[in-house]
Amino acid sequence: MTVLELNTTAEKGTVASAKKTVRPIGFGLEGRSTTAISIATAIALIALWWLATELKLVPRLFLPSPAEVLRQFVTIFNDGYAGASLGEHVGASLFRIGLAAALAVLTGIPLGLLMGLNRWAKGVLDTPIEFYWPLPPLSYLPLMIIWLGIGETSKISLLFLAMFAPICLSAQAGVRSVSVERANAAKSLGAKPWQLFIHIVLPSALPEILTGVRIAIGVGWGTLVAAELIASTRGIGFLIMSAAQFLATDVVFVGIAIISLCAFGFSFTLRLLEKILVPWKGKS
Amino acid sequence: MLRISNASVFFEGRQRKEIHALDRVSLDISEGDFVVALGASGCGKSTLLNAIAGFLPLTEGSITLNGRPVGGPGADRGVVFQKDTLLPWSTVIDNVALGLKFAGVSRKERHEKAAELLGLVGLADFARSFPHELSGGMRQRVGIARALATEPDILLMDEPFGALDSLTREQMQELLISVWHRTGKRIFFITHSIEEALFLGTKVIVMSPRPGRVVARYDLDFVRRFIETQDVRSIHLSPEFANLREEIRDILHSDHHLAGAAA
Repeated sequence: MTVLELNTTAEKGTVASAKKTVRPIGFGLEGRSTTAISIATAIALIALWWLATELKLVPRLFLPSPAEVLRQFVTIFNDGYAGASLGEHVGASLFRIGLAAALAVLTGIPLGLLMGLNRWAKGVLDTPIEFYWPLPPLSYLPLMIIWLGIGETSKISLLFLAMFAPICLSAQAGVRSVSVERANAAKSLGAKPWQLFIHIVLPSALPEILTGVRIAIGVGWGTLVAAELIASTRGIGFLIMSAAQFLATDVVFVGIAIISLCAFGFSFTLRLLEKILVPWKGKS
Repeated sequence: MLRISNASVFFEGRQRKEIHALDRVSLDISEGDFVVALGASGCGKSTLLNAIAGFLPLTEGSITLNGRPVGGPGADRGVVFQKDTLLPWSTVIDNVALGLKFAGVSRKERHEKAAELLGLVGLADFARSFPHELSGGMRQRVGIARALATEPDILLMDEPFGALDSLTREQMQELLISVWHRTGKRIFFITHSIEEALFLGTKVIVMSPRPGRVVARYDLDFVRRFIETQDVRSIHLSPEFANLREEIRDILHSDHHLAGAAA
């Protein structure tokens, strides 16, 4: 007994003097932050880029230096490009993506939920959606132009089609993720069908839906350049394509940087939205 | 009074083969009864509970509650599931008040009622917590409070303590007895633990698989003895308890062998 007590007091004494801590051995990241590594990688890549241009390893026409791209950005920011200011280019693209995303959310979520709940809705809508959604948007771009002309309608329709499928499919998956037990529990608490939908199905499906929206926005940026191939005079996609025709590589780089910044902003906002709307995700 | 008469259930199994899940089970559950259905998996005890809850229609027979046949699920029969079915996005108190919300009770009133029930299950301090912040045993207590909130005529419990460790399980059994004693609710409780069945039930039905049916019935008073004495150990160690435990074990085992040989 006394020996034991002595041992424990001895251990307490050593704990106070900062012991090396351990973590259980598992797999994957186990929640450790990767931010520092990511920032270091970004710095290293830019340094490599700078080095490659500084040592003239690649012709300037193919790879402008970081300084040139930055200078070009400032020029475009001040003077605009191809008859429109930078704000107008970005605004035109954001308007197209934003409107298409809003339409895709407003139609994709209700239809997806309906497909998850109703046999007829699923049976009827599955055929067209499963047919069109694996197609690359570029392949039906000509049809959009022939049917809808070269104005905004065809661009927004193309973006809408590309974004609709992931949202609709994720809403369906969300409904499927509602466990029978959870639904039964609500029913035995007296939930009427509409209460079951509002209080159980919708919140249960929300995490999946938000993931779908995030994927859709990603697909949307991916389709933007294709959409702006159609007789545009504005837009970041147009800026890139028209710069490419003049081999203005530095302008292409500026366009790419702007798209990546915008896409990052959207993704960040959606992650924030996820934190606010579904804080319980992965915790139940 | 909940009356089950000649309840039979056939499922459609693989290759359109019928599975006889429940065979002519009759059972009355009166005011103040604590009925425990005991048996190995596949003996039809969950089928019986699902039929009472209204999740599953009977093939033959009938179930009536206070003279009215039961249809689909409803708030007059509270269910506590083995699996955690609390809503992760709601606080504990909102989870308990869910049934009252469905019934259109005002927020103030339903929170008062829910707070009272949380006190009954010993979780008054956790009203504002979220389910993922609670232990398994605490979540089951929230589930019991939630099922009681709509003041059901009967509480149906589907192996509610099956996933808990044995110490927590004993605490939960005692808590459930005190809830039963204080509310006077009828309880229909499912378990595969012989000791749990003997300790809790005023009536125990022993069930056996293929087809699921009742093979023995007991009227017991161990639970009333516990309410008087609060002494678990003397009950568990009493010769009557041990004899009954062995008797039921024999029934369950002999049946298991028979079923094994037939299959």
